Amino acid sequence: MFFFKRIRKDSDLEEEIASHLRMAASDSGPDAALREFGNVTLVKEVTREMWGWASWERLWQDLSYSCRVLRKNRAYTLAAVLSLALGIGANTAIFSLIDSVMLESLPVKNPQELVALGDPTATQSMSEGSGGNTRIFSYPFYKLFREQNGVFSGLYAGGRSERLDLQDEAEHPHARFVSDNYFGVLGVAPSQGRAFLPEDREAVVISYDFWQRHFLGAPNIAGRRITINHRDFTIIGVSARGFSGDIVGYQTDLWLPIEAQPEANPGHDYRNEPNTFWLQLMGRLKPGVTLAQVSTVLNTMGTTIIKEQAAKITLPAGLEKIDREKIAVQSGAKGFSRIRHSFEPMLKILMALVALILLISCANVANLQMARAISRSREMGLRLAIGAGRGRLLRQLLTESLVLAAAGGLTAVMFGYWISRLLLQFTARQNRLPIEPHLSGTALLFTGAISVVAALLFGLAPALFGTKGNFVTHLRESKTGRSKGAAQRFEKGLVALQIVLSLILLYGSGLFIRTLQNLEKSNVGYRRENLLVAELDPWAAGYKTLQIDALALNLTSALSAIPGIAYVSFSENGLFSGTESGTENAIEGFTPRSPEDLVNRSDKVGAKYFSTVGIPILAGREIGPQDTANSARIAVIDEAMARFYFGNAQQSIGRHIADPDGKHPMTIVGVVGAAKENGLRDPAARRLYTPFLQSREDDPIGAFHLEIRTSANPGVMEASIRRAIHKVDAALLEPSVEQVQILIEEDLEQEKLIAKLSGFFSILALLLASIGLYGVMSYLTVRRTTEVGVRMALGASRSSVVALLFREAFSMAAIGLVVGAACAFAVGKLTASNLYGVNAFDPLTVAAAAAVICAAAALASWLPARRASRVDPMVALRAE
Amino acid sequence: MPPKSGYQNRIELLQGTLDLLILQTLQWGSQHGYAISNAIRANSKDLLRVETGSLYPALHRLEKQGWVKSDWRQTEANQRAKFYTLTAGGKKRLLSERDRWSQMVAAIGAVLDAVGNEG
Repeated sequence: MFFFKRIRKDSDLEEEIASHLRMAASDSGPDAALREFGNVTLVKEVTREMWGWASWERLWQDLSYSCRVLRKNRAYTLAAVLSLALGIGANTAIFSLIDSVMLESLPVKNPQELVALGDPTATQSMSEGSGGNTRIFSYPFYKLFREQNGVFSGLYAGGRSERLDLQDEAEHPHARFVSDNYFGVLGVAPSQGRAFLPEDREAVVISYDFWQRHFLGAPNIAGRRITINHRDFTIIGVSARGFSGDIVGYQTDLWLPIEAQPEANPGHDYRNEPNTFWLQLMGRLKPGVTLAQVSTVLNTMGTTIIKEQAAKITLPAGLEKIDREKIAVQSGAKGFSRIRHSFEPMLKILMALVALILLISCANVANLQMARAISRSREMGLRLAIGAGRGRLLRQLLTESLVLAAAGGLTAVMFGYWISRLLLQFTARQNRLPIEPHLSGTALLFTGAISVVAALLFGLAPALFGTKGNFVTHLRESKTGRSKGAAQRFEKGLVALQIVLSLILLYGSGLFIRTLQNLEKSNVGYRRENLLVAELDPWAAGYKTLQIDALALNLTSALSAIPGIAYVSFSENGLFSGTESGTENAIEGFTPRSPEDLVNRSDKVGAKYFSTVGIPILAGREIGPQDTANSARIAVIDEAMARFYFGNAQQSIGRHIADPDGKHPMTIVGVVGAAKENGLRDPAARRLYTPFLQSREDDPIGAFHLEIRTSANPGVMEASIRRAIHKVDAALLEPSVEQVQILIEEDLEQEKLIAKLSGFFSILALLLASIGLYGVMSYLTVRRTTEVGVRMALGASRSSVVALLFREAFSMAAIGLVVGAACAFAVGKLTASNLYGVNAFDPLTVAAAAAVICAAAALASWLPARRASRVDPMVALRAE
Repeated sequence: MPPKSGYQNRIELLQGTLDLLILQTLQWGSQHGYAISNAIRANSKDLLRVETGSLYPALHRLEKQGWVKSDWRQTEANQRAKFYTLTAGGKKRLLSERDRWSQMVAAIGAVLDAVGNEG
């Protein structure tokens, strides 16, 4: 557009002047006409300025000139663009993760009107029995509150599902039970079929991705049948494309009506249980209603409903909690998410790491530009000599930097997508990414913004140095290739800065690696090797309370018969299974200072549980086959509990423990070592063990776990264990069988990721910094060639020349290391909450990091120094 | 920014007056650049000569500001030339420029007279 208009106007002006000259010529002759007219080109030039396009034209000139210059200096351009692409790409990748996990709104209608009730991170939580839960809600509560609240135009509920099996499918789909108004309140119409109606029972809406993945996008999918946990369901619709549920980090495949929960999760019926908390609630605000009003309604009318419902079943003590803690209310625009909470520290650490990387790349490119400024001195001198202003040159140089940064940024966008994809793959389970990697508009804006900032960071100082002085100094410099003192100090400063940053990165990654090692080595309190855990859901197969005891005993004896299996026992919660129980107890002879003093973690375990798992027995005896429903009620406590309540293990034996109201007393018969059953970071908690077979009717066993100690490689036993379980009862759903060792390793997933990435980034940083040091050293060495020649001509030895040059390099490195060490400790303090078993101030790690940097610096300066020392003195002297 | 060229400096000196002269000349009808410069020279009894390096930038600037418009026509001598015509806005501008000019003349005259009286 602009160009065509421009060309037309140009030829117009050309013709206008030509006609002027023609007319003047016919009046006074061609020569006089030209003389009279003056400088034709200049007239054109100043006339064109009137068109007001001059600044655009200059920008265009600058751009095309920059591209020409950069194309001519391929090696320089490639080095700079790659360096920037790495720095910017790493930032784009991490930022796009932060954006998708923490910043982006759900792809629904007016997400800012949504309000999440309770704890938005409790996406897979479920709690039975305890009254007064403030994080998640029961279905009876939801139904009443939906009708009575008055602040929402719509309120829906969504809850977790037990594992679902599809016919002939290895994959277990991610499913949510939702109220019939789910899609309506969110405002996402299905792409096919319809959303739920109140009367829907065995109906399912599948996600667009699931439709593509499992049905290969088959048309007319609505109305098809699908078998879920051996029951028939009808697909009534496919969700909108790009909508994968209201949970960030858990891409939902299937939505089922809450009313169909007992059919899909056979053996469990949560619908009419006011004390089963499993639903998350999300409402759409009525116009003009504020979050504060919602909070008031929820914490007055809402809590009244909860208490009324729970009071029939729960002891008053359980209800006090809801008076102590307010139910939270917050914007639901970003949906629910567990990973938003759990990934946050990791993402922040990674963001800080990549910001440092970008600074290092900028310092590198700045150094490249400083070196080039010297070689361009002649060009700058010439341009100044023929009348270019400094401002014009600065603009030209900064345009060049922007072009470099833009090229780096564009490459980075491609890099960034793949890096973020790779990062997500590290955290994927069952090959499912928690979120779909994508670059949003925000992420692209961010990339653009940091590219511009980077261009200013690396471009401004070299441009200022490069255009300083008049053309005489420039032309003189271009001959000697010498930079001014200030420029040299700046270059050395950049190298020192890179060393500071590298040291911080190396130190940080050292701390993270040691944290990981400490966690891996940390004592869980039992032997994790050769230990398997199988999870079973007897309710789904139709078992009732008492039959479960028999099943557990049958399975134990069946598995014990398999060669290669040493011991078998069973427990309710298993190890590193993600389930955990807690109880409130009255303790004989103990006066609590706060209600929390009476809360203990708990588990129900079978005979020989402790010898199977390998938890040492410190006093008394373990739970044995003699502890059944008909024998005296007993308990075993762990060391932490013994110390907390009774002082030591020996004094605990024979003491009593009961419900808070004093009912159901148990005698403590044994004390065992403290064990970590869910998470390596928490110190082993106080834990109460009761016999599995003494489970009470008001607290029945749900799903349970088998603990299997093998004498052979546990990996090869999994299949025979599954077969044996199938033989005991074919109706049982396929159990999951996992190695405890692997479960523990999975628990360290984030720590591993941080250690790996920080290690990778710090090596990258070191590499960039070494290249920077090498560049500056080569350049400084060339500058001193004559000096070296003179010294050698006067009899200096080769080694003394090398030493001379080394001193220069190490003066830079030393400053960097001292400043870096100080910064590293400061950074260590910031990350202290993410460390384990290592102090934020760790001289050993700093020393190791400094040693690595010294080695790299030595190598980077040795090469140019050696080259200089081999120079023939005569050649060096002649060069001047 | 590059240093300003000599031509531009002169435009700036003349700016107000040159615009006024061009607009005044065009009041009598459309004219092309060559004719405008001739007219100004003739009407000033050969005292004022408008340099082309000032004339064309001024014409293009006036056009950009919407005070004149241009089109290609044949001259009486049957040559193709770009004719400039005063627009409605240009007529208003001419009036205000003339006012300003007479004020200026009066003001300068007053100053000069005052100096003469004292001297």
